[in-house]
Amino acid sequence: MASGGPTVIDHVATVGGTAPSVSAESRTASRRRVSDFEQWRVVTVNQLEHYVRTYRFLGLLGFVVLISVLTLAFEIDAGTGAVRVAQLFRSSEYLSNFLANTGLWVVLAAAFFGGDALSVDFSTGAGYYILVLPVRRSVLLAGRYTAATLLAVAIVGVYYLIGTIGAIYFFGAGTIPWGALVESLGAAALFTLAALSVAFCVSAFVRSPSAGVLITVLVLYVGFTTLQSVVELAGVEPWWSLSYAGGTMAAILDTDFVHVQLIPLGEDQFYTIWSATASEGLAIMVAYLAVFLPFSAYLYQRQESTG
Amino acid sequence: MGSIEVSSLSKSFRTGPPVLDSLSFRFDGAGAVGYLGPNGAGKTTTLKLLVGLLRPSRGHAFLNGVDPMVDRKGALWDVGALIETPEPYPTLNVLEALDAVGRLRGLTRDDVDREVDRCHELLDLPPLGQRIGGLSKGQRQRVALAATLMGDPSVLLLDEPTSGLDPAERVLVRHLLNRLKRDHLVLLSSHQMLEVTEVCDRVVFLDRGRILLDDRVDRVAGRIRSRQVDVEFARPVAPESATALADVGGAVTPISERRWRISFDGSDATRIRLLERCQGLAPVVQFAPTTLVLEDAYLELIPPTADNA
Repeated sequence: MASGGPTVIDHVATVGGTAPSVSAESRTASRRRVSDFEQWRVVTVNQLEHYVRTYRFLGLLGFVVLISVLTLAFEIDAGTGAVRVAQLFRSSEYLSNFLANTGLWVVLAAAFFGGDALSVDFSTGAGYYILVLPVRRSVLLAGRYTAATLLAVAIVGVYYLIGTIGAIYFFGAGTIPWGALVESLGAAALFTLAALSVAFCVSAFVRSPSAGVLITVLVLYVGFTTLQSVVELAGVEPWWSLSYAGGTMAAILDTDFVHVQLIPLGEDQFYTIWSATASEGLAIMVAYLAVFLPFSAYLYQRQESTG
Repeated sequence: MGSIEVSSLSKSFRTGPPVLDSLSFRFDGAGAVGYLGPNGAGKTTTLKLLVGLLRPSRGHAFLNGVDPMVDRKGALWDVGALIETPEPYPTLNVLEALDAVGRLRGLTRDDVDREVDRCHELLDLPPLGQRIGGLSKGQRQRVALAATLMGDPSVLLLDEPTSGLDPAERVLVRHLLNRLKRDHLVLLSSHQMLEVTEVCDRVVFLDRGRILLDDRVDRVAGRIRSRQVDVEFARPVAPESATALADVGGAVTPISERRWRISFDGSDATRIRLLERCQGLAPVVQFAPTTLVLEDAYLELIPPTADNA
């Protein structure tokens, strides 16, 4: 059975000579097979606590609330009449414009909550604590993804709430397009899921947590937006862009929505601006979710602890 | 009862020679196996492959008969592993860090409480409400060890478990391991020869990814001869008298006026002659090997080189 040099010994050994029985006094705990679902719940709660205690959630929430309230304060200062004129006397127009920043908040939330969600296991000692436990990595990913989604959606929800309060203040509760508002919030939730799946994918690929956060912001905010503008200049619809799909959140509330706008630049020259239709935007978001989340799980599964 | 098995296990990284080269062994039952070797021998790599933190280049690893590459949850179900420097989220407190491990291992709330109490008693844990981020290195190591023991798994994979601990804490852990090995299978990777000597029943010497020796500790002791003794006399001995002992042995080095260290060829005959000569100089209070048997075995099997010195 030897392999290699002559001093190498392979064998089957019963350590300690005999195979003793398990003594009742030292084998203490009675364990039952825990389901993946139960483990997912534990991971989710743990991750939620982690996000809250590291002030990521509260910090981002505070920032969003501050910006929203300041915006509202400036509008109130300008006066109800001025706001109504500027928003074409339509609460839907007001909501569409107020909530136009949703994409930015979602990107920041995705970066804060997802940019290092997986890389932390391979760049710090966290992996040596959690990855040696009898938990599937897909369950760990699912728990962290759920926690990140819940908090990101909560932040978006607060932003929508402040926007709605503003719309009620300026236009009255009776004018609010509640159905479209709920649809827009649903689109925002789907956009959050898609953005987080990209962030988790970055996190599964990049080992440095801070680099993961930075790359997520660069990819989702700067990268997509820049590429989208370039492609639009060439007169091509950026149907592959997640930020393009993100426009759906505001577009659902926009009563004057147009899919394609031609901006004249000169004689026979136009700059085309594309806006995703609701169905197109939702399809793009679902596609991102369907591609990037499984790919994140695949990368995370294959990642090794070499450090 | 647990089992640990690797079969033709090899691991290579992108650069450099293979870290593990067709390693095979299997251990069953209860007891402790020391896993020894210089830095870079492949000890930690073996443990990482066993728990699925690394993927084998070739071969398989099995814990309780289950390959972690095939069924990670099943393989790790009855296994506690302490590898490298585990760090729970620093925002958690000690209780929460252990509670999460217990719940993930399938313990009920009551069992988690019982297990935390047990670990608290065994390892003298820091206050349960203290944040992990505020603990000392030794305290964190004890919490990590407690997490390894949560749920009382039958197989324990321990990589330098006393790293970062003070001498009193090391003694505590050694006593704990001696208790645990009665009905657990413990694979203990360590550079601490005293730890391995006191705890382990078997020992595996590893170098450059290959097993050099795998045997019971008492059998290793039988084949390895110590080549250095410390002699303590009842009264001070003149240096010229002591250095004359070199005629029998080798180098003679003073430790104090009454204590001397003598190197020799390791044979029983020379040892007896040395003892007789020493007794001729002054009454001998102590005449003992300076190194542990396993240390001698280690040095015999793996001589110091520029790489591992």
